[in-house]
Amino acid sequence: MTVLLTLRQLSVALQQKPILSDVNLTLAEGDILGLVGPSGCGKTTLLNTIAGFVEQHKGSISIAPDMVIDANNLIAPEQRNIGMIFQDYALFPHLSVYKNIAFGLNHIDKAEQATRIDTLLSLLKLTDYSERYPHQLSGGQQQRVAIARALAPQPKLLLLDEPFSNIDARLRNELMLELRSLLKKLGITAIFVTHNKDEVFSFADKIAVMHQGRVLQSGTPIDVFHQPSSWLVADFLQIGSWLPVIEGNDECFTAIGNIVKDTIADQRKDNEQQYLLLKPQHIALMPEGEVNVNIEYVRITEHGFHYLLSSLTDDKRLSFEQLSFYSHHVFAQGEKIAIEILPHNYQLFSK
Amino acid sequence: MSSGNKNKRWKFLSWLIALALITPVLVMLFSGIGSSTELFSHLWQTVLPTYISNTIQLAILVVTFSILFGVPAAAIISQTNVMGKKYLRWLLMLPLAMPAYLVAYLYTDLFDYAGPVQRFLRASFDWHSPLDYWFFDIRTLLGAAIMIALVLFPYVYMLVRTAFECQDQHLIRASRSLGYSLTQSFMKVSLPLARPAIAVSASLVLMETLADFATVQYFAVNTLTTAIYDTWLEYGDLSTANAIASILMLLILFTVIAEQRARAGQRHQSNRLNNQIKEKKLSVAQHFFAAGFCWLLVIAGFILPFLLLIMMALDYATLEQLNELLSSGFNSLQVAFYVASITTFIALLLSLFKRLHYSKWRDHPLQISGFGYAIPGTVLAMAMLATLGPIDHWLNGVAKLLDITAPGLILSGSIFAIILALVVRFAAIANGTITSGVEQIPASLDLAPASLGVTLNKSIPKVHLPLLKSSIFVAWLLVFVEAMKELPAVLLLRPFNFETLSTQIYQLISDERLEQGAIGALLIVLFGLIPVVYLNKKESSV
Repeated sequence: MTVLLTLRQLSVALQQKPILSDVNLTLAEGDILGLVGPSGCGKTTLLNTIAGFVEQHKGSISIAPDMVIDANNLIAPEQRNIGMIFQDYALFPHLSVYKNIAFGLNHIDKAEQATRIDTLLSLLKLTDYSERYPHQLSGGQQQRVAIARALAPQPKLLLLDEPFSNIDARLRNELMLELRSLLKKLGITAIFVTHNKDEVFSFADKIAVMHQGRVLQSGTPIDVFHQPSSWLVADFLQIGSWLPVIEGNDECFTAIGNIVKDTIADQRKDNEQQYLLLKPQHIALMPEGEVNVNIEYVRITEHGFHYLLSSLTDDKRLSFEQLSFYSHHVFAQGEKIAIEILPHNYQLFSK
Repeated sequence: MSSGNKNKRWKFLSWLIALALITPVLVMLFSGIGSSTELFSHLWQTVLPTYISNTIQLAILVVTFSILFGVPAAAIISQTNVMGKKYLRWLLMLPLAMPAYLVAYLYTDLFDYAGPVQRFLRASFDWHSPLDYWFFDIRTLLGAAIMIALVLFPYVYMLVRTAFECQDQHLIRASRSLGYSLTQSFMKVSLPLARPAIAVSASLVLMETLADFATVQYFAVNTLTTAIYDTWLEYGDLSTANAIASILMLLILFTVIAEQRARAGQRHQSNRLNNQIKEKKLSVAQHFFAAGFCWLLVIAGFILPFLLLIMMALDYATLEQLNELLSSGFNSLQVAFYVASITTFIALLLSLFKRLHYSKWRDHPLQISGFGYAIPGTVLAMAMLATLGPIDHWLNGVAKLLDITAPGLILSGSIFAIILALVVRFAAIANGTITSGVEQIPASLDLAPASLGVTLNKSIPKVHLPLLKSSIFVAWLLVFVEAMKELPAVLLLRPFNFETLSTQIYQLISDERLEQGAIGALLIVLFGLIPVVYLNKKESSV
């Protein structure tokens, strides 16, 4: 596996305000990286810095085989051979679909241009629309034109800024799978930005979670999902609910039962309020047990009933408001039930 | 709005005013087109081809120069980090305040054979007569075109700069990620996208050029406007003047249609100013060149003529002149005051009619009343004469029948004709300002008073008018200034011995004695600055 893109200690400041600090990332050829994080975390700035629209102040961007970009050697965007798909697609309104796609191909001869464009048109099911103008197309069609236009010059790296945010929620999944299989078929290395965690898990080979200009964690979606490195990562990706924990000598206490200390797989930071990351699949009903939670909210989903539970304990240090729990049993709102924590590799975090 | 006011008098008055404003032009057009074919064929065999070709040549030259001045200036200010950008941004709008005929006169003074520039050259190089050297002749069609373009190019500059500044910067980024440099992207994307704005501004310049009278008259270039003036005032031939005015009117109509089409093409442009434009960083030589280009335009179009006027005023101003100016200045103020007040009143009446009345065609009176903005003053003057003349005639006939003293040319020969002509010409300015003010009032405020038991008759003075205060003031002021400056219509319609500031200045210019009116000319320029300052303030608040 060859590494295509390496970011080393990349930092960006706009008007003296740090936007990105010390970003380190690598991306292998052919992989798709999903950048996630809350709005304003700097993910779009990172994309724009890689594309060359924002200047870096420190650190370097290396693109295999031999391009190294740092503050002393800022290579202009047009010389980076990086394709970009914008959130609003940024199709040229004065050019037809065909000419939009041909825009980046002026350096190659007409015959080759025509074959390349025709291939892309048919690959993206746009052949019938080649003479139309962008305003005559639907949102999904516009996105496909933007993809074809960005792919036409055969960029080394493709950047996508919130590519699905303007697409109807019902079409989104379909388009996502379509685009993913297209990129895989063409062997394209890509980075895409989103604030939607579901998109990353279904689209990316690798994810990077950002917060306040830093990359908190990067890795395969499965690794990150199983081993979030911090409270922020787990919280943003909504991996599970948070259960306050009090440490005893051999055991830790929670409002719905105790856990043996030895079985704790992961514990970050001492001397702070600790929380157990509890995924819904690690919670079980305890039909004979003493009631310990109250049903606050009921929702019907494709996985059965989704309940939000609050604790019944009087101990303020252990009480919680929103514990996610799925079950096929029917309970009414306000009903009190008993649950327990199933044994697993417990992970404790502090905020 | 589904419901709305049903006041019949309001409806009647709105339609009456709108029709009254458009009738004179229709009368002129029909009588012009209906005039004898003999007259047309005579005109066609004699002077008309020259007039038309001069007019068209002038129009093409002015539009070309305005684009050559305005588009690069817009590009420099919006796309680069040129030195002094903050100041040049608004300085480039100042030439709009300068009447072209003043620039023409001042530059002729400066550059002709007896002027300081040629005197200096002769003295420096020991030349003695025009045979010794070549020097451009400013009093030509080309010279007139450059003079007019120097004061009209800001239209192009303003509209095109706004177009550039409102472009979606993602388009430029997309172009760059596809391999084009900043400059190439500008040529391939920004410029083509600004085409509608260039077309709209070019048609505005075209309209102003077709309306120009004083500059071409001063340079003795025969165009349709000067032809109207000459045939009416020198030969007293009303029907011929009418016919020529109708031809000019048709040219204007074509321009208006072209402008409307260009505006329709602006749908890609957003009205949101974009602050993430990536400025091109200029090299020292480029700074010098770009800033030099802009400064040259500002100096040639405003600073130099303004300084020349100040110098003239300092050298020649006397108390007597001031006295003379006072009486014509008073006439100007009087005309401008009536025109501004009437147009503002009409604009209020018609905009609120459009907003609040229930009738199906409620937006038509406003539209109809605003059509006059494109019509040259000379044409409007002919329209007034063609319409009001017969009415006067009829009134006098009636007076004779009733055996009372004939009132004379009570309409066509009085300040009434001037005011009506200027109201027609400037109604669009007041309409535009007041309508945009009305549009700022939330629609719920139309209904809220009714829900509180207050009728519309009471809510208009209590709700709408107070909210429109600043729009009313601005509309009044803008029309006032334009009416102060208007020349050709007043020149053709003024009663005997009635001078306004601009007709007096024009008279002095024709007699090559501007020195004696320098203070008045300065006053006109200063008045002209008011709308420019307003425009600048308005756009910086976007």
